[in-house]
Amino acid sequence: MESTLISLLHGFSVALQPDNLWYAFIGCLVGTLVGVLPGIGPLSGISILLPVTFGLNATQAVIMLAGIYYGSQYGGSTTSILMRIPGEASSVMTCIDGNAMAKKGRAGAALCIAAVGSWIAGTFGIIMLTLIAPPLATIALRFGPPEYTALLVLGLIFLAYMSSTSLVRTLLMACIGLMLGMIGIDNMTGHFRYSFGLAELGDGIGIVPVAVGLFGLGEILATPSHKVVGEVIAPKLRELLPSRQEWREASMPIARGSVLGFIIGIIPGSAHIISSFLSYALEKRISKRPEEFGKGAVAGVAGPEAANNSASTGAFVPMLALGIPTGPITAVLIGALMIHGVPAGPQLVSDHPDVFWGFVASMYVGNLMLLALNLPLVGLFVSLLRIPYAYLYPLIIMFCVIGVYEVSHSIVDVWIMLIMGVFGYALRKFNFDPAPLVLGLVIAPIFEQSLRQSLIMSNGNYLIFFSRPISLGLVIVSIGLLALSALAFVLNRKDWRTKLAEAEVGKTP
Amino acid sequence: MKIRSDHVAGATFVTFGVVIFALSGDLPTGRLSMPGAGFLPKLVATLTIVLGAALFLRARESEPFSSLGWSDGKHAMLVMAITAAATALYTWLGFISSMVLMMLGLLVVIERRNLLRAGVYSLCTVMVTYGVFIWVLKAPLPKGPLGF
Repeated sequence: MESTLISLLHGFSVALQPDNLWYAFIGCLVGTLVGVLPGIGPLSGISILLPVTFGLNATQAVIMLAGIYYGSQYGGSTTSILMRIPGEASSVMTCIDGNAMAKKGRAGAALCIAAVGSWIAGTFGIIMLTLIAPPLATIALRFGPPEYTALLVLGLIFLAYMSSTSLVRTLLMACIGLMLGMIGIDNMTGHFRYSFGLAELGDGIGIVPVAVGLFGLGEILATPSHKVVGEVIAPKLRELLPSRQEWREASMPIARGSVLGFIIGIIPGSAHIISSFLSYALEKRISKRPEEFGKGAVAGVAGPEAANNSASTGAFVPMLALGIPTGPITAVLIGALMIHGVPAGPQLVSDHPDVFWGFVASMYVGNLMLLALNLPLVGLFVSLLRIPYAYLYPLIIMFCVIGVYEVSHSIVDVWIMLIMGVFGYALRKFNFDPAPLVLGLVIAPIFEQSLRQSLIMSNGNYLIFFSRPISLGLVIVSIGLLALSALAFVLNRKDWRTKLAEAEVGKTP
Repeated sequence: MKIRSDHVAGATFVTFGVVIFALSGDLPTGRLSMPGAGFLPKLVATLTIVLGAALFLRARESEPFSSLGWSDGKHAMLVMAITAAATALYTWLGFISSMVLMMLGLLVVIERRNLLRAGVYSLCTVMVTYGVFIWVLKAPLPKGPLGF
């Protein structure tokens, strides 16, 4: 505990350097804008701005990119409350009661509760991250190839289990991602795989063109401008403070959302999205007046907003301590660290303390910045929301092209982005979630290497995964999750995931 | 039999898995004690075929293929065509010219905006972006035959 505090103080000495403060501020500001603007989510925002960080050191880069991620969770609530359009996916639940509050003339109060709830939950998440990540990294140092293989398989199965689409659909997406991740030179034998004579594919397909294509361009292709209409309810600054009654109604949902969000954040999947749905369902279930949900219930804003912010911080635990992405956003962040020569994982804490602790400390500072940014600048965000989408999306496409091209100055990457954009559009039509694909792409090299090393270690004996305690435990959890899914499938009954899927398509839980 | 969306999706994934298998023909699978470069691709391709088949077989739970909404298809095709054209010209014409043309195309052809207003908006946003990348971020962007 004492060493953690000393390390955290060292982190603050890094995070409070003027340069690092500046990049945290830029990240938070851009993240808020990304969250506010519909049609551009945190993943495309981070991917597009990744090349901008090439000139920075690893600490500055990860501070800025993470700022975009948690900043977008704050910003998403503004659009949800004022326009009833989710600025990004995790703000869907905030739309319902947030906008209902706005229509009752309580837009300012809803924005303030969302911002304060986000700050409390974000800070809670960072405290937990500070306490959990370093000991977890110490345990992870004992991991060998069989443990990593079992962990990655568990990650994929957990993602499939938690997904609101079906297990088969999620695993199919993960398989496509794994296949894309195997394009290029095989690290262990030097064979070229599926590169079709293109030298650019020798190093494999990058995560940025795939992520920007699937999430950025794919979203634009599926969103004609005539479909994006919405009136902005502009709050008055003097109405920003909630009443004492509203604070009372918000306090416990914020506390519950913070804990729930953090726990879900650690689990693989689109955690910040799932957490807000579950928090909303929980608050509605335990409320003494459930009939108020959908008509401007304070708990319907406070709980989900706290949960999605806490979840976005929780997602950093496996990323930093184990080097395992829990979703596409942390996958891109791992990619960003690797570009700067810093591998995420157990060695990060011991080998790169400046990066790890500087990053953790910057999140404390960043959350304060976001609280200070979000409320006073609400007028600016309202003005931004008045820019017609028809003028906005050509700009986003231009940033997609620049962002992808600048990674390795390869036009092939831009073509890959375009192909992925069309693929992402088709996936939306057929009700596939592209997130597991990105996850599969990122873990493919680690997974293949650890699987093959495990088999070489055991002379081809699969029992190696059952003979080591950690990997055995992970395999048992994987089998348990598959059994639970199979049970729901065989009994053909609706479990909580089916209900969540129904909520996502518009039926509130 | 009514064709459903998962029939189409499942069949596509099965075909994709078979194609990957065919393309992996020259990659050595190796042995379990020494897996080769083709080991995991073939394993994943098999899994894709199995999962694709499962999707196909359970397709009656999905919506009819004919009911999938393609009303945004024209918008998607036009956006793709204009962006692809700009990509083809990107390294040849340079950043400024290709991106101005792309934004102008998107605004005038798809969004039916006033040519003059769209032109001013495209030029201004592209020039500001160019300035930010070149002078603030020191990130080089492709230059065309005219040097910009």
